[in-house]
Amino acid sequence: MSTLPWVCRNCLSRITRPTFRRLVRYQSTGTIVASRESIPSGLLARARQIAVEHKELTDKLANDFDPRAARKVGEYGPIVDALKAWDNANKSVAELTGLIHDPETDAELRELAADDLSATRESLVDASQSLTTSLVPVHPFAHLPCLIEIRPGVGGSEAAIFAGDLLRMYQAFCNRHGIRATLLKYENVNGTQEAGLPLSEAILEVGNEGAYGMFRCEAGVHRVQRVPATETKGRVHTSAVSVLVLPSIGENSLGEEDINDPESDYYIDPKEVKLEVMRARGAGGQHVNTTESAVRLTHTPTNTVVSMQDFRSQPKNKEKAWQLLRSRVAQLRREKREEELTALRRSVVGVAKTGRGDKVRTYNWGQQRVTDHRSGTTVHDLDDVMGGGQTLEKVMDSVRTWLMEQDVQALIAEQTTEKK
Amino acid sequence: MPRLSTSLLRNAKAIDPLLPSLLRPCRTLQAAQNELRWLREHVLGDHRTRNHTAAHQASILRRLVRDRASGKPLQYILGTEFFGDLEIACRPGVLIPRQETAASITHLTHLLLTCGALPRSLRVLDLCTGTGCIPLLFRHELLSARNDTRLQLLGIDISPSALALAKHNAQRLTNDTPHISIEFLRSNILSTAPPDSLAHTLTTHSQPTTWEILISNPPYISPSAFWKSTTRSVRGFEPKLALVPPALKPGIGDTEQGDVFYSRLLAVAEEVGARVVLVEVADLEQAGRVARIVKKKNVWDGVEIWRDWPDGHEEEQGGGDEERLGCKILGSGNGRSVVFWREEGRAWLGK
Ligand SMILES: C[S@@+](CC[C@H](N)C(=O)[O-])C[C@H]1O[C@@H](n2cnc3c(N)ncnc32)[C@H](O)[C@@H]1O
Repeated sequence: MSTLPWVCRNCLSRITRPTFRRLVRYQSTGTIVASRESIPSGLLARARQIAVEHKELTDKLANDFDPRAARKVGEYGPIVDALKAWDNANKSVAELTGLIHDPETDAELRELAADDLSATRESLVDASQSLTTSLVPVHPFAHLPCLIEIRPGVGGSEAAIFAGDLLRMYQAFCNRHGIRATLLKYENVNGTQEAGLPLSEAILEVGNEGAYGMFRCEAGVHRVQRVPATETKGRVHTSAVSVLVLPSIGENSLGEEDINDPESDYYIDPKEVKLEVMRARGAGGQHVNTTESAVRLTHTPTNTVVSMQDFRSQPKNKEKAWQLLRSRVAQLRREKREEELTALRRSVVGVAKTGRGDKVRTYNWGQQRVTDHRSGTTVHDLDDVMGGGQTLEKVMDSVRTWLMEQDVQALIAEQTTEKK
Repeated sequence: MPRLSTSLLRNAKAIDPLLPSLLRPCRTLQAAQNELRWLREHVLGDHRTRNHTAAHQASILRRLVRDRASGKPLQYILGTEFFGDLEIACRPGVLIPRQETAASITHLTHLLLTCGALPRSLRVLDLCTGTGCIPLLFRHELLSARNDTRLQLLGIDISPSALALAKHNAQRLTNDTPHISIEFLRSNILSTAPPDSLAHTLTTHSQPTTWEILISNPPYISPSAFWKSTTRSVRGFEPKLALVPPALKPGIGDTEQGDVFYSRLLAVAEEVGARVVLVEVADLEQAGRVARIVKKKNVWDGVEIWRDWPDGHEEEQGGGDEERLGCKILGSGNGRSVVFWREEGRAWLGK
């Protein structure tokens, strides 16, 4: 299952019927003929294959215990259950349809069967959905807290002002939802922490479990169109702010094994990291009483550089720098994998890419609207969006659903190409 | 000191009118911005100024920035400095702990903790203890790794204000741990006769006369280096008693005066039966001189020199320093301490 795309469980619960229907309509225009009740043949084949594997593994486990096999059995369990439910529902529908069409069936029984059929059809729709979603693997980091990094892009001081607006938007959003969000790094252009000033960099740590799954959809370039406060001729400017969302691996969010397991994205060989500390100039020791405590880490294989100097304590700067370095390197590794995947998907379905360089959303003051370019959703209550209110949640929801659809489509496409 | 460029000053002013004056002690914009932020946080967070009006707080901040611009160390203004993981209280009149010292102590405890041969009970003597930062960090590092070692720590200083501050720090940073004791006593390391001598102090306070580990960061700056290589903030605000050794005899040479403490420290190391000794020095040259006396004694089994960051990559070798000084040199940065050992000390350090 290694080439399958990732999606978070949170999003799965959000496939509402209308969107699912849209998805199915898309599929039916392609080579895969599908209805609300059926499963694309590629996916179904995959599910059957998994069921066979599951049975073999269970048999094997009966004789001797193998932790890896046990884990697989655990992973496959929900798929096998969903397949069973789908098979059952399918069989009932077939039986009922058979009854109805059988000339031998008397009128009373036919009526009863017809009654039953609509309920059974509903449960088949449910079963189809659960089977499809059970096959889409959960994003491995969806359960983690996350870091939201906000930096102004093109557009000078107006971009920096909008960066501050976005930060407050996310803070308000978290506040409203009772989510713990702490500023890990905050620098306005004054190098101070006062609010209301143009921002040069902020890192917001969202501590809740599942935060990465929730905010993953916010990564990308956010564009603002408005007349800047500094503009005298009343011209509308377009500026951009980049938002990076990384799973955060604080002390508690990742187990020891993730940090120490060379297979994990978060594993960093300390030998591949160059640690530099800000040195006192000149003679050092008793000659100088500098307050500089900056720490810089360089991960040589990826040339990732992280420096931290916000704290007076050097060990604290070092700890935070390691945390950032782990997150960034893990992100690079994932991006590289995802890029390979995207290339594959593009050749198949032409899925839009969602990397850090892409414009994902526009905030237009003149029209008081916000448009997300991925989900195609436009909302008009700009103030509520900027205040982190329900309208923002609506937009984020639409993107998560979109992400999920992309993943399901890609999954179907992959299964089809695999079969060819 | 090179003059600050006018464009740098102009940039700083555009960011915050308080920044240009901080550039004088800080030199770089980044450092000045950090200090301004810490000062501001201090005014907003300190219990004495927290509830003042914004205007009052702004005027206090302006005053603190003015103090800092005059060279007063930030650590005296904020009242603390970080030393390893510990936040040590600082006061004018007592030397501010240095990062390099913390790096040596952390490395030393790291070696002791990983050697696998450390005895169940250890006595650590810190001469010229100042704020007490060295025994406090030693205790902290050991305690965070293991809980089964009996530890007796003693800090010695000549200055009553240093002793008062060291005791204050011990009270703030330690809790009652039955198998660990930490004490501070007044004595004059340079004196060999009662009532000031260390031996006398130890016996009159019923302290042990043997100590396995001896550490010291003594005054080590020569009179000429005091004028040439200390910064204005050190020279003008930190106690000279902590920095420059006294001229023990008339006509003493400049270098010789800078080295005054080391021969006494070596004698004490033998008196108390130390197995591992770490003394801080000013630079590689002084380290070489100390290492030479250590070797001449013929009682020590090994000696090496550690740089500022003893566990860092050894990037600054090359210059033939090891051959010239006849001594192994570890880590990166300036020559910072001389470490020597005998008997079990070798195994404790994993040498
Ligand atoms: C360089 S400071 C070191 C302080 C502390 N150990 C540290 O690393 O931050 C030297 C200390 O030695 C003390 N001192 C100076 N002369 C002394 C003497 N003759 N006997 C004992 N202590 C002395 C000073 O009071 C000062 O606290």
